[in-house]
Amino acid sequence: MEGRCAVETWAEFGFSGTPCAPWLQVAFGTDVLLFAGTDEVFVFSSHERKLTAVIACPGPVTDLVESHDKRFLFVACACRVYRVSSQLLESRAGSPPADAHRGPAELKLTSEFLAFAEEGVLSLLLVGSVLLTLSQRRSSWTLTLYGSSDYEVLRSVSLASGVVHNETGTRRRPPLTCVRSSGATPPPSASSSVSDGCLCLEPILFKRLFGIDAALAKSPVVLCGLPDGRLCFLPLRPPGSRLAVLHSLEQPVVFVGASGVTDNGRGHARCLVAVGEQGKVVLIQAEKGGAEGGADRTGFTEGCVPGPVACGCVDEKRLYYSTGSDLLVLDLPEESPERDGPSVEKSRVTHAALQSPSSLNVCRVLALAPPTRSTAEEVELLGLSARGQLQRITLPVDRGDAGWPNAPSTPGGRGVRDLLSAIGDVCERAAALKAAVKSKNQILRRLNQVLNICFLLAADTNTGERDKPIGCRATASWSRLLEEDSLTLTCVLDNSSPYVLERGWTLSVAASPMSGPPAAGGQSPSAHFSFPFHGLHPGETLEVSLPLAAAGQSSLPVTASCSLSFSLAGLLGEEAAALPGLQPGCVSLPLNTLTVDWLHALRVTSPAHGKAPPQSGNTSDAVQAFLRSRRMGCGGAAEAGGERGRHAASVRVSAESLRDARALRASEADAPPDVGLSLLEWLLSEALGGVSAGRRRGDGNALRSSVVHGRDPSGHPVKLTAKEVEVAEGTRGEEEETTPTAVEVQVESSSVAAVCGLHHAVLTRIQALLQTAPEPAASKRRTQSAGPRNALRRAERLLQRIQQSRVSGAFGVGVSTGTVCQSLLSVYQELRENPLIVI
Amino acid sequence: MFTSGLLWLPYTQRGKVQTKIARRFSQNSDSRCNKMHQPLSLFHKWIQENNELVNKWKEQEGGDTLTRDQNQNHTCLVWHSSEFHKLCRKIQGIAPIADHTQLELTVVYNAGVCLIAQSQFLEAESLLTKATERILQMTGDGPFASDPPVFWKTALKSVGNTALNRCVMHLLCLQWAIWLATCKLQTIQELQNELLSVFETLSSGVWDEEGSAPRTKSSDIALPVMDQRRLIELLQICTFIAQGAERLSEGRSSEALSGLQSASSLPAPRTLISYTHLLSGSCLAHMSRPQMALQCYRMALETDSQCVCALYQSMLIYRQLGNTQAEIQALRLLHSTLMLPAAKEPSPAGVHLLPSSLLLQSQSLSSLLSVPSALSVLHSLALKCVLHERVAEGVEYYLDLLAALHSEDQHGVHAAGPPLPKLPELYLQAGAALLMARRPADCMALCDEVITTTLELLPGKVVLKEPEECEAETRALCEEVEDGVGMLLWVGAAYLLQGHCHTHLRDWKQAVTTYTRCFNLLVKVRFKKRGCQPQIPSADMMSMQGTDLCILQRLKGLSLAGRGISFTQTDQLREALRDLQLSIQAFPGAGLWCGEVLWRLGRKQEAVACWERTWSFTPHFSELSLAVYLQEPQSGPLLDSTELRRRIEELSPI
Repeated sequence: MEGRCAVETWAEFGFSGTPCAPWLQVAFGTDVLLFAGTDEVFVFSSHERKLTAVIACPGPVTDLVESHDKRFLFVACACRVYRVSSQLLESRAGSPPADAHRGPAELKLTSEFLAFAEEGVLSLLLVGSVLLTLSQRRSSWTLTLYGSSDYEVLRSVSLASGVVHNETGTRRRPPLTCVRSSGATPPPSASSSVSDGCLCLEPILFKRLFGIDAALAKSPVVLCGLPDGRLCFLPLRPPGSRLAVLHSLEQPVVFVGASGVTDNGRGHARCLVAVGEQGKVVLIQAEKGGAEGGADRTGFTEGCVPGPVACGCVDEKRLYYSTGSDLLVLDLPEESPERDGPSVEKSRVTHAALQSPSSLNVCRVLALAPPTRSTAEEVELLGLSARGQLQRITLPVDRGDAGWPNAPSTPGGRGVRDLLSAIGDVCERAAALKAAVKSKNQILRRLNQVLNICFLLAADTNTGERDKPIGCRATASWSRLLEEDSLTLTCVLDNSSPYVLERGWTLSVAASPMSGPPAAGGQSPSAHFSFPFHGLHPGETLEVSLPLAAAGQSSLPVTASCSLSFSLAGLLGEEAAALPGLQPGCVSLPLNTLTVDWLHALRVTSPAHGKAPPQSGNTSDAVQAFLRSRRMGCGGAAEAGGERGRHAASVRVSAESLRDARALRASEADAPPDVGLSLLEWLLSEALGGVSAGRRRGDGNALRSSVVHGRDPSGHPVKLTAKEVEVAEGTRGEEEETTPTAVEVQVESSSVAAVCGLHHAVLTRIQALLQTAPEPAASKRRTQSAGPRNALRRAERLLQRIQQSRVSGAFGVGVSTGTVCQSLLSVYQELRENPLIVI
Repeated sequence: MFTSGLLWLPYTQRGKVQTKIARRFSQNSDSRCNKMHQPLSLFHKWIQENNELVNKWKEQEGGDTLTRDQNQNHTCLVWHSSEFHKLCRKIQGIAPIADHTQLELTVVYNAGVCLIAQSQFLEAESLLTKATERILQMTGDGPFASDPPVFWKTALKSVGNTALNRCVMHLLCLQWAIWLATCKLQTIQELQNELLSVFETLSSGVWDEEGSAPRTKSSDIALPVMDQRRLIELLQICTFIAQGAERLSEGRSSEALSGLQSASSLPAPRTLISYTHLLSGSCLAHMSRPQMALQCYRMALETDSQCVCALYQSMLIYRQLGNTQAEIQALRLLHSTLMLPAAKEPSPAGVHLLPSSLLLQSQSLSSLLSVPSALSVLHSLALKCVLHERVAEGVEYYLDLLAALHSEDQHGVHAAGPPLPKLPELYLQAGAALLMARRPADCMALCDEVITTTLELLPGKVVLKEPEECEAETRALCEEVEDGVGMLLWVGAAYLLQGHCHTHLRDWKQAVTTYTRCFNLLVKVRFKKRGCQPQIPSADMMSMQGTDLCILQRLKGLSLAGRGISFTQTDQLREALRDLQLSIQAFPGAGLWCGEVLWRLGRKQEAVACWERTWSFTPHFSELSLAVYLQEPQSGPLLDSTELRRRIEELSPI
């Protein structure tokens, strides 16, 4: 179809999302009545272009019908049918005429308007003086005929309900219409000017479809399209006619009408049209067989238009229907007057015509009122959109029609207005599409960034952890909050990559103790922290703090695994949810793993620069420390080895290799080459594995003494000593070689845990330190000495003892667990007391 | 309530637990009763609740006649039913105690009545049986037979003469009602003696005084929702009626008669009494005693003026007796009665819940009570009048009928019975009647209507199949779809009637045209014999009357005769002779006119022979059995037989 539709929005009613298909109807001449499954009927005056009245009903409205003389309105809702006088509505609507800006009148349907009660009324129809109701009760459809004046039940006909194929789930009013033969005039009782709401059908078609009796009785025939797809008819006369099935569409019937009207609407229709919900269109026409012998018959032409069909209406030649996304028009095949062409060819033509609907470019129409022709021969439709907009849709004049020469003569202003409103509609659609495209672009761009980062980090895992462009470092520090000391890890996410970490990324840190009692699930207890952030540009850092442990509850060392994660669901939002089969996923990229050990957590009380060891502010600390140590002493009755309950462990490192280590050499420049002191300083300050201890911040003084007093996280005093010692080489061979010096780092504490933890930490660090030392060019001398040999021997013996106790422990024979523990402890002590030598 | 918690227990265990609880509970309630009266004991509360429900129902029932809302009534019934059930479950939550049994059984009775009123017979039956079993467990009797008659026999026996007897009997009454409503007359027969004794005990009313004497307060008695005495009376007579109908349909008329006659003296609503008379009449009619049957029907009508069935049955008897005037009279009465607005007879209080229609649902009875619709009666009346020389009246009836068919009034359609003939058929009958009443213009209008409506639907070629074949294949189809032959015959008949009208008006030219149209239409029909090609049926292929072929031949004969007569009037004797001679074979009545033409042509001997042959011819079927529009026209030119005989006599001496 050429040209554009002019769409003029008259009003907007705020109903949406009701399961019931909306419905609108022109009544009282110019009023439009609307309802949409809610409790209200809106009366809209198309003259004044405003809402004149609202009828408030006691339940959801299912249908309404206007009496032929336009004096009453029957409203079906909530198992009841009410009768409203139009005069009453008008008087309510127009009572104070002075006030033009008054809101609509409201009429509440009470029992005084009640006409009769009937269960499950779906549709109403008024034929002459008979009011018909179609209702669904249990498993049958029931057509009940009431006298429209006294509401006496005249007759009731039932039909067993078939299978309802309702796929869209909308509750809609089953179409109920009335047809009569064009030869049959309405009964003389009704005045001739008042139509009785029946469609006029060509007599021959009428007789074929509904039988001679109905034709002879000049009976109106009620046509009813049921939700189970059947198209039924009931002749009202002669009395006793049965309800019969005319055809079955096998899908809910949406619309039934008659088309092919000749003589400018006063004639009769030649074709019955029924439209199903999924787009099946059935045309019922009388077909004359061939000139010779062929039997005359009724032609049922079935076709299918792309559905779903939300509503439809028909005029002389065309079927208008809305799929919800577009309004389409279908030219119904026009028959030649003689109607006796070869029927095969004709049916082919019909099929072809049924398959080519043309779009009118009006979207979201859910209900249509029958088309009217304006004075300019334009077809006007009234539609109700999904958003509750009442629209007048003016169709362009068809070129093929007589209308084309008239088209240029339409008044200019009107044309512009129509054009503007049409543009408005198109604009709205365009804006919506634009927004959709924009948001999709945005999503793509962000996805691109995400992918870049993924590749960056994935590539780095292969090359090694050392220089990831995006990584974490951390500072462990003790903070005091609410009289409670706690160890806090401050993580800093460093983005040194060229990409922006955008909104949607989350930094996740999982802190889990390296050793410790396994939890019930067999997994070590770990705490997860996640920090969503809003964009991190290249070069920027993000600092987050997370509590590691409160004083006394720590189980150091703790590893903190950092990772970045990105939620796809958050990015795609609703679209991802709408996509079937797409699991809303999450991208997770591991960064690095930080280890917080005992050294980090060590609280130095006497940084050996001469100051008195600061008293811990709270006396209770001391008491607690005391108590703890006592408990420890009591608990560990077996560890009687240490003097005054003190335990010690030491590590010896060859001073030479220490001097070679790069990390210490830096400090050598300005400090006297006291290896022990610098080692101790390094141990306490160095950020191993990206974690530094926060205690030294603001305390620039270097260590003066090689003894450091401190407390472990549980508050036990701890002493760290570093001194240069000479390694005793045994008795022989001293003369030949210079005595190698070593640095001994000794850890002393009353708490075994602290000693172990610190010892482990010191060892780990020294290992790391020595790795940084350059490879010695050659073994400067062979340390073929008894010392190491003795140490080796000792170690072997100890290993044997450990194995023994493990075997006996495993078999549980003879030895009690206590003795096993005892022996292990003694092994341990021996290990500690004979310091390991790192050469 | 602890009931709900106990429901899952097996019955016996439940009983034990309940007994314990009940013991404790009853002590409680007793003590409470004795010490302070303010908080009612549960027992009294239950009675109160029951009585409130019953009173509410009665109130609603009282206003029922005013409201015509069936739905509302039904909802109310459903609500009451569920309330009685709840109460019943509450009471049955504790073990049966002798003090409570009467109350319990009354509540069960009330719940049962409500269930039966909703036609939930199975549920009602199980309710009754369970309740009775429960009571009988208290008396300590062992397991019960599942066979209902045996069960109830033992139940009655084990209750013996205790106070419970009466309550159990009430329940048995409900069971009786269920059997009756579900047409289990055999079971009722088996328990006949017990039921009779129940009837005698309950209807005597002696118990009533005995029972109520010791009671002081009305609040102590649980009220029944439906008066038990009314119920038993209703059951008694309904049983007689149902049994009578059953026996009658089985052909045991005399046996049925005795039962029915004894039932007619029972106290019961008028409608039911009139049913007994009616059924007695039917029995007598079956026993070939039409006069006595008529007597019974009259009594039925006297008892209940609404008993249209009695009128209808009398009409059938008159028809059987050949008393046409009486038959017409009866039809007229029947029609006017049917057209009366059905006055609702106020049924006696307490019978609303279980109307007799609920208890009388047997097929045989409903077929005996069925009456054709008012329109159908009107049609018979009209046709009878037309066929029996009361044409003017008949015409009026036909016009009434047509008016009724055109009106939107849907009265008198609901009744079952033979459907009306198709509308074109009625139009033709009415047309023929109008012609007989010398209103040819009206007749022509009606025929016009038929022709214009039907003509364009006529197929180009019609094949009439052999009756047997048609019977097997298309009869059912013919009913639904107007088959080509039927429509063609209607149009043919309409043309024929129009021809008659023209003849009546002495418009010979038009008559010839119309008869020709009729004939031309009829020759389109080919007759197909099994195994043969379709052919034009020859005039001598006389067939069973009533079949399409017979009608076709008759129409052909009549149209040819009519055309021949018209030709005769315009002195086209040759054509007249040809048509009449052809027509004789299908319609012997044309023989007189054939002779007349021969006479006029001077072939007097042949004419005499023709006349003699016609007079001696006896039709092998009655004219009356033909459709009224296929009968020989009584209007138009007539030949006087005496005149013809005089001519023969004049001729013979020569």
